[in-house]
Amino acid sequence: MKSKTHKITLIYVSISIIVAVLCHKLFSLYFSESQYLSLSLVKDILFILATGLVFSYILSKNKNRNSSVFEKLNQTNEEIKESNEKYDIVAKATSDTIWDWKIQEDSINWNKGIESVFGYNPEDVGKTSKWWFDKIHPEDSIRMSIKLYSFIEQKTEKWQDQYRFRCSDGTYKYVLDRGFLLKDENGRAIRMIGAIQDITKQKEEEQRLKLLETVITQSKDSILITEANSVDRKIPKIVYVNPAFSQMSGYRSDEIIGKSTNIFKGPKSDSEELKKLLRAIKNEEECVIETITYTKTQEEYWVRFSMIPIFNNEGVISHWISIQRDITDEKKLETEKEHLIRELTQNNKDLKQFSYITSHNLRAPLSNLIGLLNLIEDLPIENEELEEILAGFTKSTHLLNETINDLVKVIIIKDNPSMQKEEVSLQEVFENVFSQLSFQIELHKPIIKLKFDKVPKLITNKAYLESILLNLLTNSIKYKSENRKLKISIIAEQIDNKTILSFKDNGIGIDLERNRDKIFGLYQRFHNYPDSKGLGLYLVKSQVETMGGTIAIDSEVNKGTTFTITFKN
Amino acid sequence: MLEQILCIDDDPITLMLCKKVIARSSFSNEIITAQNGEEALHYFNTLKYSNTKSNIKPELIFLDLNMPIMGGWEFLDHFTSSAYSEFNKASVIVLSSTIDPDDLAKAKKYPIIIDFLSKPITQAMLEYLKKKIGLQ
Repeated sequence: MKSKTHKITLIYVSISIIVAVLCHKLFSLYFSESQYLSLSLVKDILFILATGLVFSYILSKNKNRNSSVFEKLNQTNEEIKESNEKYDIVAKATSDTIWDWKIQEDSINWNKGIESVFGYNPEDVGKTSKWWFDKIHPEDSIRMSIKLYSFIEQKTEKWQDQYRFRCSDGTYKYVLDRGFLLKDENGRAIRMIGAIQDITKQKEEEQRLKLLETVITQSKDSILITEANSVDRKIPKIVYVNPAFSQMSGYRSDEIIGKSTNIFKGPKSDSEELKKLLRAIKNEEECVIETITYTKTQEEYWVRFSMIPIFNNEGVISHWISIQRDITDEKKLETEKEHLIRELTQNNKDLKQFSYITSHNLRAPLSNLIGLLNLIEDLPIENEELEEILAGFTKSTHLLNETINDLVKVIIIKDNPSMQKEEVSLQEVFENVFSQLSFQIELHKPIIKLKFDKVPKLITNKAYLESILLNLLTNSIKYKSENRKLKISIIAEQIDNKTILSFKDNGIGIDLERNRDKIFGLYQRFHNYPDSKGLGLYLVKSQVETMGGTIAIDSEVNKGTTFTITFKN
Repeated sequence: MLEQILCIDDDPITLMLCKKVIARSSFSNEIITAQNGEEALHYFNTLKYSNTKSNIKPELIFLDLNMPIMGGWEFLDHFTSSAYSEFNKASVIVLSSTIDPDDLAKAKKYPIIIDFLSKPITQAMLEYLKKKIGLQ
């Protein structure tokens, strides 16, 4: 533009000088001095007019050109403004963090996202790419920079990468970064613009799903997923099986997908159970079955098989999930257990029968002895020694008889788990017991305190309750202390839904430290008394337990003993 | 006093006891014994087919349960059949050493059994029976 202006000026000056010199030469040659002066004026005026016209033409042309340039500039300016606005709107809408990197100058600009997403104040944001790279998680940074530089060197077509980007608070966010290159006329990368998307939530969800997926892939139970329903009302087609399934059934997943689970059916499968399953499928209900099934190599195994329908948001069934467990071992154990129980029951029955026969065979001759002794009682005996011998004979026979009767009681209690229960008045039971012991009560005159007002009646077996109280009362009298008057207190209480009967005396007690485990045992005696057989407490415990109760003892040597009997109502 | 009773037991001492106790308490005039059910049935058969004009037959039977050849239950099954209809108006008392609850339960199913008593037989027992069958 300037050179053009100079050119025009130079041309004009040269033309003007040439015109001036030519006119001067011509005028001085052809005209007189006076003429020359007026002609020179005319010539100057003409020249001025001519140059004026030329100027006006050039200026007007220039003016036109300038205004069109201005207009063009204005338009471009508008376009740029609009484009900037659009960019701002898009940047806001995407919530992506956008960066603009001038590669040669290594200057990088960030949009507002660096603050709103990552928390960096504008003044903290570095101006170079180093700041950017520093924020990338060390485990990701090498991989990321290799990919990025190979893109800048245009060895790769596209660039997008996932990495962890450090926020201002030191935590990391998973990001997806995508960018493109701007090149100069020689094709050299000069600028790169990118957008960083925060995908932390997606990534976390992905990891959560991955973790959930391990439940299926790592599970020891077979899991398979089938289609919603089959057309022919059979078991629907399989769409997924987990590795445990392949392990269990021998079918690889590619062999089984698309097939119906009917293939597990075999000669020993329980058809009733399979029908149950089909019914559940038809009714879209959950169901569990157990059946024998077959592996690919036709080996049979027991499986517990559940089908659970999965419904979509519209409540329409979309899939079935089936969980299967190999219960062959379980079944084997169960069968063994059943066998064992049968065997034990039989043994128990045999033993019981044996005990009845034994007791019968013992009792038969014993009853003869007693009968014979009864006969002797009526006969007069003169020989004193014989009388003494017979007395001993009688005593021993009766003791043997008592022992056997007690044992028989034990056998019968053990054999009678479901005895009859009735409403029993505690007061009445005690009166019966006292009348049976009236002789001993008269003899020792114990102080007996009874408190039954809380539980006047009890639903129980009367005979057992009498036997229990008789045994306990006899024991209290038998093992009373010689140094003090015997006191017995019997209290019945109702606590929650339990009846508690406590039976307390101040007798000689039992050394629980030594005998705790033996207290209620068979033939356990804790005092060397001639008529103690070690059966009483065993009987008591058996009877209490047969009635569904429990018995506990608390005792201190020379202080006394308390028995606590608890019955559930 | 009863005219005739039958004691069925395989144990001779039990039978001896029965005889002595029954004799002492004047329970019956005559005591017939049998060692098992078959022997007892045989006795009834002889009674049935003998030509003696005597009308005497056992009015009460003491019966043991566990006996060889034919036990108490088997005896009862025969005895309560129509073949012995002229004799089975007699009452039966089970006299046994058994403690098997099944035996007790079974005894309740036979209307002919009026009592189930535990050995040994005693005079007190006979007094009780006298009252029961209305001898006193």
